[in-house]
Amino acid sequence: MSNAPAAEELQTEEEIDLTEANEVIDKYLTLPGNLMPVLQGIQEAYGYVPKPAIALVAERLNAYPAQIYGVLTFYAQFHLKPRGRFIIRVCVGTACHVQGAERITETFFDRLKIGHAETTADLRYTFEKVACLGACGMAPLAMVNDDTFGKMTVQKVDEIINTYNARPMK
Amino acid sequence: MVNLTVDNKQVTVPKDATIYDAAKSAGIKIPILCHDKKLHPFGGCRMCLVEVEQMKGRLIPACTTPVTEGMIVRTSNDEIIKARKLVLELLLLKHPIDCPVCDAAGDCDLQNLTYEYKVNCNQFVDEKFNHEIDYVNPIIERDMNRCILCGKCARICDEIVSYGAYSVINRGLEAKIGTEFDGPLNCEFCGSCVSVCPVGALISRPFKFQARWWALSKVKTVCSYCGTGCQLTLGCKDNKVLTTVYDEDQGFHNGQLCHRGRFAYQFVNSDKRLTTPLIRKNGKLVESSWDEALALVTERLAAAKAAPASLAALSTAHLTNEELFLFEKLFRGTLGSDNIDHSAGFAHAALTEGLKASFGTVASPSEILDVQKTNLLLVIKTDAYETHPVIGFEINLGVKRKGVDLRIVSDKRGKLGKLPGAQTTVHTPGSEILLLNALAKVIVDAGLADAAAPGLAELKAALAEVSVEKAAAATGVSADEITKLAKDYAAAEKALILLPIGLGYPGHNAALAQACANLAILTGKYGKEGSGLLVMGEKNNSQGAADLGIHPKGSGLNGSAIIDACVSGQVKTLFVAGENPVVSYPNRAKVEKALDAVEFLVVADLFLTETAQLADVVLPAVSFAEKSGTFTSVGRKVQQVKQAVKPVGLAKSDFDILNTLNASLGGQTYANQNELFAEIAASVPAYAGLSQTALGDEGKLLPVAPSAKLVPVAAPASAPVAGKLALVTGSALYHSGTMSRFGEGPMLVCPNAYAELSAADAKVLKIEDGDAITVKSETGSVSVTAKVGYRMPQGVVFAPYHFGEGSINAVTDGKPVTWVTVGK
Repeated sequence: MSNAPAAEELQTEEEIDLTEANEVIDKYLTLPGNLMPVLQGIQEAYGYVPKPAIALVAERLNAYPAQIYGVLTFYAQFHLKPRGRFIIRVCVGTACHVQGAERITETFFDRLKIGHAETTADLRYTFEKVACLGACGMAPLAMVNDDTFGKMTVQKVDEIINTYNARPMK
Repeated sequence: MVNLTVDNKQVTVPKDATIYDAAKSAGIKIPILCHDKKLHPFGGCRMCLVEVEQMKGRLIPACTTPVTEGMIVRTSNDEIIKARKLVLELLLLKHPIDCPVCDAAGDCDLQNLTYEYKVNCNQFVDEKFNHEIDYVNPIIERDMNRCILCGKCARICDEIVSYGAYSVINRGLEAKIGTEFDGPLNCEFCGSCVSVCPVGALISRPFKFQARWWALSKVKTVCSYCGTGCQLTLGCKDNKVLTTVYDEDQGFHNGQLCHRGRFAYQFVNSDKRLTTPLIRKNGKLVESSWDEALALVTERLAAAKAAPASLAALSTAHLTNEELFLFEKLFRGTLGSDNIDHSAGFAHAALTEGLKASFGTVASPSEILDVQKTNLLLVIKTDAYETHPVIGFEINLGVKRKGVDLRIVSDKRGKLGKLPGAQTTVHTPGSEILLLNALAKVIVDAGLADAAAPGLAELKAALAEVSVEKAAAATGVSADEITKLAKDYAAAEKALILLPIGLGYPGHNAALAQACANLAILTGKYGKEGSGLLVMGEKNNSQGAADLGIHPKGSGLNGSAIIDACVSGQVKTLFVAGENPVVSYPNRAKVEKALDAVEFLVVADLFLTETAQLADVVLPAVSFAEKSGTFTSVGRKVQQVKQAVKPVGLAKSDFDILNTLNASLGGQTYANQNELFAEIAASVPAYAGLSQTALGDEGKLLPVAPSAKLVPVAAPASAPVAGKLALVTGSALYHSGTMSRFGEGPMLVCPNAYAELSAADAKVLKIEDGDAITVKSETGSVSVTAKVGYRMPQGVVFAPYHFGEGSINAVTDGKPVTWVTVGK
């Protein structure tokens, strides 16, 4: 047992190329309060914050892994598991709820075989229920990445899935 | 100073005080859950809400609000009580209230405040938490269902321990204290978090279900492991030491303890303790009576008295001052032998020879409190954290709170190097003196030396041969780095050097202490607050042993020479009090041969140690918890040790044993230890005029008056041996000497001998972490577990010396560096 956490020891089964993470850290290394931009940069590069990257950040920024984990789990913006290429968000706020949002979410669950905050095995889709997307006039509402789909219906769910199934993964 | 009124009392406090501090100074108790005097104010629990006349309309948290002139504070009224009750109701809403099976009951802040504020019902209803309890590690049980999220554990681990095992993870109702990835705890296991936990969320597993808190008798004493001299409260019941009890007002360290201080007390009541004397009959050790054993020892010592050169005695620095003084009186006085020593002769030389020559005294010209008062701290070897963990906490606090500039000169990296701004200068093993000489050379050449420093001319002459460039090549540290370190040291207003010493550090000898002292004397950085040199003795009473002269004074043999003389047959009778040279002295095979060869070997110890197994007579001695007396810690602080439990079995204190022997051999008899203490105060100049009553609970720091002199020291040549690795020995964080092996905590966390090597060497040798490896030198070989770590530079192997099996001293020979080959 060592008397201090070492990067090597924290690395686990996950094999990740840390080049990009190192570049992000290089960019912010001298900036005071650099933990947030570093974690955001890493998430942007990998789509999530991989476990080995946390050990790397801890080592290079001389921060405790536990504290980094605390930051990552505090903010909803960070993800610790790989996310899908397309993030489907369905609003379940008040306006969407009364317009039948539940049928929309259930249909997505049924078609994609995943639940809330889960990702398909092929990493194509991640599904999230969200409280409000700020466009209640278009209720019920769904978004796929930055594309918006208003007045959603069960039929439209299949159309959306067909459209994005045809899109390339990269 | 600021004047204010708290509950109609006039209070004057410093301007950086908070309302809580002000109330406390007036004897007014404000309830707290998340506040701790050692930590930065947090203001999370809202128990300390008070009313301030000038800020009416809302209640103010006392623990985070600074005082202002004329403030009028009320700490209790109906509104405040209502608010505090609400806080308690909300905490109790989620808390399991499982007090009957909670170890914290009786010492639980939540329980006590609930009682005090009469919260006997709850206006809210909600489900309880269902967090999984962490039973994975053997030391600390974490039940986050009981947690009230005060955050003290996470803050103490960050602020003082600097390990950072915990953080608040998740958010809102799901927030809890967790580790990275919410996994099981795996840390230094110092237990600081357990000590500050206001509830039973963090408890000591070795103590779980052992006794109710209120059934423990609490005895204040001093820890018997390292030389830091931490004050300790033992929790005892039924004549057994069951736990250590946290007292935030104890000692300079405010009750902070390390792993071994807090979790390694079980050796006191270990079932392995010796309970009767043993005598070797027909080759076997058999139980005997004290009368028979002491009669035999007296007879053999009386015979040896005729030829004192054939008699030798080794002691451990774990004994009390009184016992050491009596040890010296018996062997040097009554029996006339100068062959007395402790710690193999080399592990105290930094004090007894080094500082004696440099400062004219065997004590450091600094104290532990200087660590936080200095500007620049130069630590020789990062191991200072491992040998003296609570001094390590002081270093952490100094660097993080007082802006101390930390410089480490070491043969490996370590935890201290991770502190903010800390700079580690990694040098080749065994080149410390050369490096320090080079630092002195830079200081002299740059004209930064104090012209009035005594012995300057001689030192200058000696340094003429030192070349910074050559030193750079030999130490592996660049000339620029040497120059910068020297200039920074000289430029600092106050600078303190820390030098840990001990049986694991044969290179930390008189010459190294003198080389350190030279830097301090050259730049006039001694004899002032926050400046100087602190030589950190390994054992709880290493300083006392040095003060009382437990080392040869004339032509007597030192510890290592005694071993040689046993082999050669010159020493025929050897008395060993508590020392375990078979494991702790270099070259185990030679020590075993010596102890086999010696005609009559007496060992007084708590356990049948590797050394006691070779004895002709074994006398059962007692631990620090079973006797009274005094210990002298690093920086020469004399503190009282108080008996907490009765001796185990028929065991007797070394005082009783030595007193009986001394009397029967024609020496003086003492009625009790106090008589010896009085004699020490009368005859040892450093302890002059000291009285036991004056020591009190706090102990007394003895003044040290250094008379400085620069002593030129020659750096030993340390050329690498081709194809071999440099083995350096030392201390593991969880252990101290060979006694911590009988404490539960250390053996649960760090049970086996290991050798640490760099990832690069491991790759070349095809060794993986956890592999069984063989370390081989010209002296011998040993099998240990490999530990591949980030700490080691390529070509260097580190191994702690505490273990009996896999004893690294099987391969060492007393040199600072042993050249070894490592293989599977």
